[in-house]
Parts: sequence; structure tokens; C-alpha cells
Amino acid sequence: MRTRLSILTWPEPKGGPHRAICHYCDTVHVADPIAEGSRANCVLCGATLFQNRPASLVRVTSFSLTALLLMIVVHTAPFVDMDAAGLRTELTLPGAARALIDEGTPLVGLGVALFTIITPLILAGGLVYVCAPLIFGRLAPGAMFVTRWMSRSEPWNMIEVFLLGVLVSLLKLGKVADLHFGIGFWAFAGLMVCMAAAVAAIDKRELWDRLEVAKGQ
Amino acid sequence: MSKVNGKEVPRGLELGLAGCHVCEKVSPVAEVHCPRCGTHLHMRKPDSITRTLALLIAAAVMYVPANLLPILTSRELGISTESTIIAGMVEFWNTGAYPIALVIFTASILIPLLKIVALLWLCAAAKGLVPHSAKLLGKVYWVTELLGRWSMVDIFVVAILVAMVQLGNYMVITPGSGALAFAGVVMLTMFAAMSFDPKLLWDQLEREEEMSTAQPLPESE
Repeated sequence: MRTRLSILTWPEPKGGPHRAICHYCDTVHVADPIAEGSRANCVLCGATLFQNRPASLVRVTSFSLTALLLMIVVHTAPFVDMDAAGLRTELTLPGAARALIDEGTPLVGLGVALFTIITPLILAGGLVYVCAPLIFGRLAPGAMFVTRWMSRSEPWNMIEVFLLGVLVSLLKLGKVADLHFGIGFWAFAGLMVCMAAAVAAIDKRELWDRLEVAKGQ
Repeated sequence: MSKVNGKEVPRGLELGLAGCHVCEKVSPVAEVHCPRCGTHLHMRKPDSITRTLALLIAAAVMYVPANLLPILTSRELGISTESTIIAGMVEFWNTGAYPIALVIFTASILIPLLKIVALLWLCAAAKGLVPHSAKLLGKVYWVTELLGRWSMVDIFVVAILVAMVQLGNYMVITPGSGALAFAGVVMLTMFAAMSFDPKLLWDQLEREEEMSTAQPLPESE
């Protein structure tokens, strides 16, 4: 039975009736299973209650695994090289956070490290750790604890905002210096896409339903 | 009870049911902790309006130094220039980089200000101080939560400039004290948005409907 779980779409936990409460208006719904690729909306206010994403576990795992691999590139390869006044400086992701810490604003530097390095790592690493075993219907040790921390850290993942910051700064520097895009920049752009795709690939409700079912095995 | 197409739909408050904030399982609020993930269950976010207002006041106070203090200092050939967020934006505008000037204006000035105003409005509406459409304000809340993070872009720009522009005697950029205040504003408004409970808007709407449909007291003889 265990191997067949991965093929099954969105298993229903034991017990019931399963309900869903709208986060916006508090309306109680009976949460019947919905077809893959469709979403359930609140009857009163229209907000999304939950969505059934196709091939959710496989997608989350592959996107977050790719994100983890890209993180290695992002942290080792320079984003941008700048030639100005006969000097060459390069930007790396940890370099941006460290510069603020070294130059007298350690709190802001820690914030930047939290939003661009630590939170994405918790999210991508956590998703691989939790979702890869779930493909085989297994529960990783502490999976529920990890999932709780993932939902707590999700709003603080600011990868895409940092990319906008890179573009704005480059436009600012482009007038006074010679800039060359490095591998790190393209890896970072890919990382942004993979993180967004990984987070969007599974509904929170589905992930917890799967965890509950795997726990009961 | 709310009505949809004449049919009554139950609300969690009436049934004593609460949706878990972490795992979304619906359980009786009397169980205190979510049976699935162990998170504390509550009908409404605790002290929602008080907490939101406190965080908003803090954010509004911080907004002043965030805009008045320099966000970065650049020392070019021995001459120091301090620039605030607004000065940085004006510089982009004057050099003809209108799209970037607009991005900075939106992310750094408009969004934090609109967030503070929007959340104040939501709190007032939830208290019944202003007439409101709960459906529309629910959308306002959704947008407020969605956009909040983008204000952090200016902090990242400062981090990148400080990391890259270290050219010895020629030009050096260092972060200013405004950066801490500005990061504070963004984080405080994010926490304020998280502590507001949009269900309160519908609770208030329901109270108003009850008041208007209540039967007038029979006249005493």
C-alpha cells in the first residue's frame, strides 16, 4: 500500500467531516475533495480556501532541490564585477549582508542575511526534507515541527525583492563604472523562480493532510 | 449567520469552530491546541486591534527618522554627501531615470505610508467607526499583506552599494542611521499586518445587521 500512496492524489485523513474556514470572513465550509488543478473559493467573500495543485509533491521536491543547488552557486560565484577607478570589486550575496555588519549597521546587516540567506535556506531545505519522504508515504522525523517553522518563515523570504534591489543598484552604478554580470546573478534569478514555484506547488492544507495520513500509517 | 443567495451559511464563531493558523484544520476552539499540529487555537487573533494599533504607532514614529536621516553616505575624493531616501529618488528623477525613480517612490515612500493608512482604516472599520464593505476591505487587507515586503528594496540597494563601492580614496559608500529606522518601519508594518484579523470586519458587519433588523421594542401601555 505504501508505494501506491505517491500515485494517489491528495489523500483524505481519517475522521471527518472535513471542514474549511475562510481566513477572511470565518464562513464554515464542508471541504469536499476537488479535482487536480482547481481551487475552492469561499461562498461568502470569494477568497481562495484551498487549491489542488497537480503533481504537487514531485513538483515541490524538484523545485526546492534545484533551489538548494542554485544556492551553492549563488553563495560561491560573484553576482557582478565592477571595474572603476582602476579597482575591481565584486558583489556576492553574503558580501552584501557582511558589508552592512562591518560598516556599523549590524542589525540591518543581520536582517538582510535573514531575509536573503537564512529564510530561503529554511524554506528550500525544509521543503525537500518534508516532501521527498512524503512521495513514498513516509514521514521524516520532526516533519511537522519543520513544516510549522516553514510557514512561520515564509513571509520573510525576500529573494525577489533582493533581485529588484540588485537591478536598481546596477542602474545607479552603471553610469560611473563598468559592470559585468557573473554566474551568480543568473543563478540568483533562477533561484528566485524555483523558490516561487516550489512554494506555490503545494497547498498548505494538502501538505498537512499528507503529513497526517503518513503519520497514521 | 450570513446569507448567500438567501441561504444561510454558518460562521466559525457561532459553531465554536476555529481554523488552525498553521495547518488549517478546523477544530472546536474548546480543544485549546490544534490536534494535528499543536498550535494554539483561537477564535480571533489575540488583542488584534490593540496590537495592530501599537505596531502602527511605532511604525509611524519610525517613519520620521527613516525619511529625515541619511540612508547612506558617500565619500567621493574626500567630500562626504549624505543622502536620504527622498534625495536618492530625486537624483534618479533628475538624471532622467524615471522608471527607477517611480519604483523607489512606490516601494519606499508610497507603500509604507499606504500600509499605515490602510491598516488604520481597517482597525477603524472593525471597530465600527467608519462604514465599510467587508468584502472590499478584505481585499485591501490581502493587498497590504502582499505588498509589504517590497518596501525592503531600498535596504537591499544600500547593502549592495556599500558592498560594491569600496574604492579606497576615490569613492566609499557607508550605510547611514536612516537605514535602521527604515528597516524598522518595514518590519513593524509587516508585523502590524500579521496581527490584524480580517474576520473582525465581518463580525462588525454582522453586529450592524443585527442592530438594523432588531425589532423595535413594543410600546408600553
